[in-house]
Amino acid sequence: MLKKFKKALSLVVCLIIFLSLFTVININNSSVEASSKIKITWMGFGQPHEKELYTKLVKKFMERYKNITVDYICTAPGQEYGMKIQAAMASGKLPDVFYVPPENLRAWVDAGKLLKITKYVKASKEINLNNIWPQAISRYMYDGKTIGKGDIYALPKDVGPFAFGYNKTMFKREGIPLPDPKKPYTWEEFTKICKKVTKDTNGDGKLDQWGTDLDVNWTLHMFVWSNGADWLDNTKTKVTIDDPKFIEALQFFADLRNKYKVTPTAVQGQSISGYQRWLNGQLAFFPVGPWDVPVYNKLKFEYDLIPPPVSPRTKKPATWLGSLGFGVASTTKYPQQAVDLAAFLSTDREGQRMAYQMGLQIPNLIDMAKNEYAKWKEKPNNKMEFIRVVEDYGRRFPFEYTYDREWYDTFYSGLQPVLDGKMTAEQYCKQVKSKIQKLLDKANQKAKK
Amino acid sequence: MKFSIYNKEKVVGYLFILAPILQFFIFALGPLIYSFYASFTDWDGLTQPSFIGLENYKEIVLDDRFWKALYNTIFYMIGIPIGMFLSIILAILMNQKLRGISIYRVIYYIPNISSLVAIAILWQWIYNPDYGILNNMLYKLFHIQGPNWLYNTTWVKPAIIIVTVWRGLGYSTLLYLAGLQNIPHVYYEAAEIDGASSLKKFIYITLPLLTPTSFYIVVTTCIGGLQMFVEPQILANNGGPEYSAATVVFYLWQKAFINYDMGYACAVAWILGAIIFVVTLIQFKYANKWVYGMD
Repeated sequence: MLKKFKKALSLVVCLIIFLSLFTVININNSSVEASSKIKITWMGFGQPHEKELYTKLVKKFMERYKNITVDYICTAPGQEYGMKIQAAMASGKLPDVFYVPPENLRAWVDAGKLLKITKYVKASKEINLNNIWPQAISRYMYDGKTIGKGDIYALPKDVGPFAFGYNKTMFKREGIPLPDPKKPYTWEEFTKICKKVTKDTNGDGKLDQWGTDLDVNWTLHMFVWSNGADWLDNTKTKVTIDDPKFIEALQFFADLRNKYKVTPTAVQGQSISGYQRWLNGQLAFFPVGPWDVPVYNKLKFEYDLIPPPVSPRTKKPATWLGSLGFGVASTTKYPQQAVDLAAFLSTDREGQRMAYQMGLQIPNLIDMAKNEYAKWKEKPNNKMEFIRVVEDYGRRFPFEYTYDREWYDTFYSGLQPVLDGKMTAEQYCKQVKSKIQKLLDKANQKAKK
Repeated sequence: MKFSIYNKEKVVGYLFILAPILQFFIFALGPLIYSFYASFTDWDGLTQPSFIGLENYKEIVLDDRFWKALYNTIFYMIGIPIGMFLSIILAILMNQKLRGISIYRVIYYIPNISSLVAIAILWQWIYNPDYGILNNMLYKLFHIQGPNWLYNTTWVKPAIIIVTVWRGLGYSTLLYLAGLQNIPHVYYEAAEIDGASSLKKFIYITLPLLTPTSFYIVVTTCIGGLQMFVEPQILANNGGPEYSAATVVFYLWQKAFINYDMGYACAVAWILGAIIFVVTLIQFKYANKWVYGMD
């Protein structure tokens, strides 16, 4: 028995030695390869058509840089990416290039995870900074205290102007004069039109056409900002939701449903989404992002872009302007090549053309956006409104300025009674302010560490 | 020393359990110990943690969101007895000699192996208050205007319980079915000779002899239930209206990955771990009072 055991043992030892020899040879091989060929990994998320675009761009990049191999990893959109990238940060195994949501910029830079890329961007042949929206680049600039100042930490993948749209076909049918895109509706005019179109069109006793149906998470900003209010003060350390101008805007938003009754009721509103009702042609007004365009262009009705309604206080339109960036890991072995890849993905002309034609985004390149894209024959006709949002009245989400967004999420999580008309905006804002202020203080303390 | 058949079996047995044991030591033990340490630190998950003693635990005691999430998690446990009751009935039905019985068995097992995302989409459609099948049925059958299930603080939890019960039904039915088929038929024959009715046979033979299966189901579903995460996450957006659908695991996930409070999240995880440990311990301690053959 012992003999058998010894035999088996020696066999195992031989096997281990043999296998380890093999790995040594393998490691040697890879080090030979590494000296001649550079390997860059880049990780993002996206829908299948987005993945297709970036796969093509990566191929084109590798054709241009024969000594670089790019390994492209694409996860599903949403939470999966966030968890993966944080795990990669914790384990020190970040991909060379990866998506940076602007809200994460401060935390990631302070933790030393993102490379300061200013000098590499300037050295890169791939990019002309003057031809990219400064409103996009500035989101990824940070001096350790303020966003928008200091070094560049990422290049924009896109800018997302959240514009406003109207149902042209419905306007014509209801005999409402078409809006002038240069002259926004005031809140009063907007409500008046909404009231006019909210009706039962087939005589079954139920409403089946409404003025609008806006999701509070994405559109409250249009009203708050236009009324001259905001969630935070300029220093981003004080919650200002008890400002009468803020309360007024929130109340107006809730009144659209409860007082003016120009949106579906609370129950109706949560059953079929506003988005679906807009697609059905049942709403006069609805927001339009560039990413919506491929779907909206297949609709049976005509639509176009206008500025969102403006408050009588400021008469200025406002909405949010989203973005996502390409960052480079501070641990990358090849900073210049990684920045070249990020710059190429961000600004390659052919890539940008494909991106807007696929309906992913408007071009990052200013000249392309203002000429080629604005004149493109596809709907919506008034594509310049998207550009006006970028250049003129688009703003960042309030949580992009703070270390985390718990304070902001808490504001929204208790808002339902206001929207249902069971509580006034004033009661809610005054009641919840101190709780949100505490959470903001906590976030700011994290930043100071 | 000679290998007897008994010894050989022993070795094979150990080899079989070696995989999960090794897996535990390699992949779980390290993170487990580290997370215990991390629960005493202020750690954002990105930079170095700094030791703060019991601060996280003290904060959790005063954290109303944690208590709300814990309350919700315990509330969801109502689904366990409901699920067990339904699966015993189903198992008895499926234990009959019916034509095409295996088709029924497969049908009830399908939800258990289906993709959770597909299930979420299906149930979101069922629960839709305007055109959903559930409210339509309620109206047509009883003239009741059903609630807005997933967006209502009162109804969101029962709605999620229904989904979890439905999803777990196939699995526990399968276990009960196996339990039923293990009951020797002679007991029933003896009872019949004594003139016992079907109900009495069920109460005095079937139920007691199924208690080991019930015990297994109670323990495993309690552990699983306390760790519930996916169903509320995908059915109820961002913790549901006023956080009424969030579970403890959802809360700790939000803390760890959205709000950069990894140390705090670790503390929440350890509190949850302690709760699960105590609940399981109590179950084992009192098992001999009701589980047949546990003495």
